[in-house]
Amino acid sequence: MIEFESVAKVYDGQRQALSDVNFRLAPGEMAFLTGHSGAGKSTLLRLILGLETASSGVVRVAGTDLSTLSGEKLARYRRRVGVVFQDPNLEDDLSVYDNVALPLRISGFSESEIPKRVNAALSRVDLSDQADASPRVLSGGQQQRVGIARAIVHRPALLVADEPTGNLDPELSARVMRMFTQFQQLGVTILVATHERAVVESLPFRRLVIENGCLVSDGMGVAR
Amino acid sequence: MNRWILDHTQAIHDAWKRTSDRLTQFVVLVCLLGILLAIPGWLAQIWLGMSSLVPEDAVQSEAIVFLKQNLEVEARIDLERTLSEMSDTDQIVFVPRSAALEQLSAQDGLEPIADLKTNNPLPDALRVRFSVQGVEARENQIIETLSGDQRVLSLRYYPSTRIQYASLVEMLGFLGIGLSALTVIGVLMAVFLVAAADVVDDRRRIELYTLLGASRRFIRRPYLYRATLLGVLAGLIACLVITFLNEVLSSVLASNLKALDTRLENIPMDGRILIGVASIAVLASWVGAERAVNRRLRALH
Repeated sequence: MIEFESVAKVYDGQRQALSDVNFRLAPGEMAFLTGHSGAGKSTLLRLILGLETASSGVVRVAGTDLSTLSGEKLARYRRRVGVVFQDPNLEDDLSVYDNVALPLRISGFSESEIPKRVNAALSRVDLSDQADASPRVLSGGQQQRVGIARAIVHRPALLVADEPTGNLDPELSARVMRMFTQFQQLGVTILVATHERAVVESLPFRRLVIENGCLVSDGMGVAR
Repeated sequence: MNRWILDHTQAIHDAWKRTSDRLTQFVVLVCLLGILLAIPGWLAQIWLGMSSLVPEDAVQSEAIVFLKQNLEVEARIDLERTLSEMSDTDQIVFVPRSAALEQLSAQDGLEPIADLKTNNPLPDALRVRFSVQGVEARENQIIETLSGDQRVLSLRYYPSTRIQYASLVEMLGFLGIGLSALTVIGVLMAVFLVAAADVVDDRRRIELYTLLGASRRFIRRPYLYRATLLGVLAGLIACLVITFLNEVLSSVLASNLKALDTRLENIPMDGRILIGVASIAVLASWVGAERAVNRRLRALH
């Protein structure tokens, strides 16, 4: 699903953010991307989301070389990817329902299809009863779950999460990770960037460790 | 088609929401642009008013055409007929040399001088009175033709006050066009800056929409609708201001207007100006916002 071939990224011709990164993530696979702050995790995710282009090497997602995409094609590619942020980035002036419906409206889903999908996504994150609420009245954990519902509502084949549990307590973090596990079992490819060892070590998934822009370890983890 | 309607409805809704979120800023901007656009509109109104008003007692252009000595009567009558058939001439009067001498003497307060009666140095002349609606270029053309005519000795041309006034109006027209261009540039810049600031304010939201797969067109649409609304309202205000100023000016000049033309109640309002100002308002707002949003989005991406 995701393929990095000798990928390097240099900012402003000086700062080397990634260097010779090689890995493949199969469809339906889930992996953690770990490393210290500034190691290059966010750059790697930005490359997958098409927000940056590689200085050298090739980034392929579902067989498409992302450097060949631009404009409308790039926008269409992003509509097939789900994104979860550390800060859920919800629109305060929209209801929970409308926040979750955003990707569907952007993708051009029909108004008859939207309620079914939004209700299904909200029920998957146990927030069906909060559909009409404003995100402002929700707790941090609930807001993060709205963010997850928004990321999966259009049933993406790839889900990318950047520090999704960064603002959550251990109990909520575990709950969020359980959700990701469920999505993976449904066939979604998931890449979770995190620097929280407890989260990574709690689940038996592949671990990509990145340090100073280099992929230093790639192996299966064992749940403790 | 259904999708297109839905997308645009959503963009209009977003634009309206954005507008109501920053209502004070929007109202101030609408008023500012409306007043700015009213300036060239009003100048154009004054200009068109000046160029279309013809005083009832306007002095018409005149030419005194001195004929060659010993010109045959047939040749003179032929010249008179040619001139009278021209659409720009109003009246052709033959002034025989004896009558001219008498008139000159009377003008000077002198009795006809006896010895000049027998030895009159003046030639016969035609007095050509041009049409009250005469246009400078066409009158000049007639004068040139006459100057080159074999039957004409020389001529004197007295342009009407209207023709003299027309060149002043023309000069004012150029000044108005210059000022109008500056005002439109001002409107473009104001809309450009405000739209650019809006995009910067919405940076976080735009980044989110981009990540969710929104195309640049989708992101840009609400800003353009907002700019169009701004243009429509600014154009409306400009039209109201122009009409109001025209009414005020008409009431101030009411007695002068009556003197110009007894039928005139007020300075006639030209509908083309209102349509022009409203169109420029919408177009300038749209272009300003389109340029600003595109530029900012390119920078953000």
